[in-house]
Amino acid sequence: MSGKVARGRRRRETLLPYLLLTPALVLLCGMIYPFCLGLYYSFTSYWLQYPKRFRFVWFDNYVSLLDEPLFGRALEFTLGFTVAAVVLQVGLGLAIALFLHGRIPGRGAIRAMMLLPLMMPPVISALMWKIMMASTNAGILNYMLSFVGVDPINWFGSTRGAVASVLIIDTWGNLPFVALILLGGLQALPSEPYEAAKVDGASPFAMLRYITLPLLAPFLILTITFRTMDSLRIFDVIYATTLGGPNDATTNLHIMAYQYAFQWYQMGKGMAQAIVLLILVVMVSYLLIRLWNRSAESNAQ
Amino acid sequence: MRSRRGWLTGLMFGVLCAMGAVTGAQAQEDEALSYFRQAKVDWRQAAGQSLTIGLNKHPFTESLLPLIPEFRKLTGINVEYLILPESEYFTKLAADLSQQRGEFSVIMTGPMRNWQFVSADWISPLDEFLNNPKLTDKAWFKLEDFYPALISANRWNGKIGSGVGEGPLYSIPVLEESYILAYRKDIFDQYNIKVPTTLEEMAEAARQVKKHAGIPGIVARGTPSVASMGTGFGSGLKSYTDGQWSEFDGKLNATLHDPRSVKYTELWIDMVRESGPPNWANMQWYDAMEAFTAGQAGMIVDADFFAAGYEDPKKSKVAGKIGYALIPTGPGGKVYSGLWTWALGINKATKNKEAAWLFVQWATAQRTLMNATLGYRNYNPSRMSVTNDPRVQEIMGAWGAGSYLKTVARNLETARVFWVPEPERTRMGDIWARALHEVYFKRMTAAEALKKASVEIDKVIKEAGLKD
Repeated sequence: MSGKVARGRRRRETLLPYLLLTPALVLLCGMIYPFCLGLYYSFTSYWLQYPKRFRFVWFDNYVSLLDEPLFGRALEFTLGFTVAAVVLQVGLGLAIALFLHGRIPGRGAIRAMMLLPLMMPPVISALMWKIMMASTNAGILNYMLSFVGVDPINWFGSTRGAVASVLIIDTWGNLPFVALILLGGLQALPSEPYEAAKVDGASPFAMLRYITLPLLAPFLILTITFRTMDSLRIFDVIYATTLGGPNDATTNLHIMAYQYAFQWYQMGKGMAQAIVLLILVVMVSYLLIRLWNRSAESNAQ
Repeated sequence: MRSRRGWLTGLMFGVLCAMGAVTGAQAQEDEALSYFRQAKVDWRQAAGQSLTIGLNKHPFTESLLPLIPEFRKLTGINVEYLILPESEYFTKLAADLSQQRGEFSVIMTGPMRNWQFVSADWISPLDEFLNNPKLTDKAWFKLEDFYPALISANRWNGKIGSGVGEGPLYSIPVLEESYILAYRKDIFDQYNIKVPTTLEEMAEAARQVKKHAGIPGIVARGTPSVASMGTGFGSGLKSYTDGQWSEFDGKLNATLHDPRSVKYTELWIDMVRESGPPNWANMQWYDAMEAFTAGQAGMIVDADFFAAGYEDPKKSKVAGKIGYALIPTGPGGKVYSGLWTWALGINKATKNKEAAWLFVQWATAQRTLMNATLGYRNYNPSRMSVTNDPRVQEIMGAWGAGSYLKTVARNLETARVFWVPEPERTRMGDIWARALHEVYFKRMTAAEALKKASVEIDKVIKEAGLKD
């Protein structure tokens, strides 16, 4: 009798984890199915308006990318934008975190205010910035810049302006995330090394260079990883403001894949481009996560 | 105490007014329904069915929505609709049409879109409904009341490269747009600027406006998309070459790099770079229209019916200050404007084709289109009887001190859908618009950029199997 109960309980125990996992599994299937379908389409000539020409073409879509003039430009912008965005956001984020870590009045209020951009959907913030960045007299940003003697900037009508706009809008939205994680990291650092350094008479810069940065490394690499992944596949801000223009200056792989698949209905090619982007994201984040593991281990020692 | 009595009187007055309004509206509605019941068609033959309609966000859509309850009352057919901005709309539409699930029964389409949909066999020819006496009272509907150019724009025999105006009718037009020049008459008069009749004169006029009035001389659409190519730019090019040039030769080879097209492109881009707005390359049609409406440009070459917005004193700073003229022409002096018409078509995969046709017939009926124009500013009318109605003439006749109606009437004598019918027209336009950006940003000469675009289009045409 008692054995039966125990067996029943054991079975319940083995079932329970699966039961609890069900929502996650359903979600996973919901992601895996479209992914597999997309992968399959990337090997076909699927083109919505020519259903009769549907064929399996193996790697044709991937090979043809080498022959696609836009691909080179899109890849260049994808990588260039990612480097610029990550350097800018992590650099500024670190500066803000260090600033807020010090004893300054109204720290709590500033921290709460910093959360605001995070609450706004990127598309909304992009549209808001688009209005502020209007290059005509109506643009409030150019108006404000005129007070500090800056000539009107042609935000969306020039290639450089458009790249800068996208970078600024993306930074505005994500800087708080970086700053808050790094601030959390700073506050979790042990105080002993600093006390020891002070006894040795180390300068504040030396403390930053030889104590803070090495100890903060896991947090830095973590934010770099997140920001890199997001920057590689940024879409909403570009879609809402420049649509990849002008002169393809803000077309990245994601925008290009969207154009092929949803503007020109060439699903096969669009999916192949999306898969290339995915491989890029996975590769880069794999490298960064390995780096993170190593720095976390060395910190633990 | 006094204030309470005042409140009570106010309330009673309000109730009385509301009752009056309700009975008035009732009478109007009954009158409208009786108009439709004159047709020898059983409007209630599909009662109880449901339709979903796909609509692009557009002034026409705004004019249709308030009238839909009338259709429900007339037919007992339940109507739902989905409205999306243009590019999202066509993406969603293609997804639905290609899956052949028939989610949308009635769709908002037009000539160039039809070429895509017909090639894929996604939309129904409408002749079978029109010629079915059970479904259509032809004498009442009067297809011959529509401008002939609009009806023929929506016909196509399905042969790639030719045959527009022949074969089945795929959609019924709900409005007309052709392309004309609108200019700031006040500025032109003040500084003695000549209304341009050639592209060179237009560039000069733009320069003068910029110099004297300190605003961009001309605004135009400039985003790297097909939407930027078909209106002012395309019509100007067609006219510049006296109607001779086409984007494809007889064998479906792209001819964007034709020397005349190269010359025109150089002049146009120079004009826009020199006298246009700084953000030309990021301007959608509504940006250009808004800039002109806000008094931020001397000229605009675009859809004629934008005049309804320019001349709306509630929204426009330039109402009453505008003159209208034909777009600049070539050496032959004759204008060849493009033409576009939003139109309603029927999804081939829909299960309720009869109900769908009843909707199309109701939405394009004389009374409905008249209400859409008079009540909700749906311009320009696709039916001649609506244009010629004295009330409509009075409104449109006031625009540009009469120059609007005169210009549009002359424009329509020769305006037509001049694009070569083929399903890759959107893609062609996108590639073409990108070439313009290469020139504008001085990465390539016009000759190089247009040659490259032609090669790219040839590649797409071949890949799509439209040509061996």
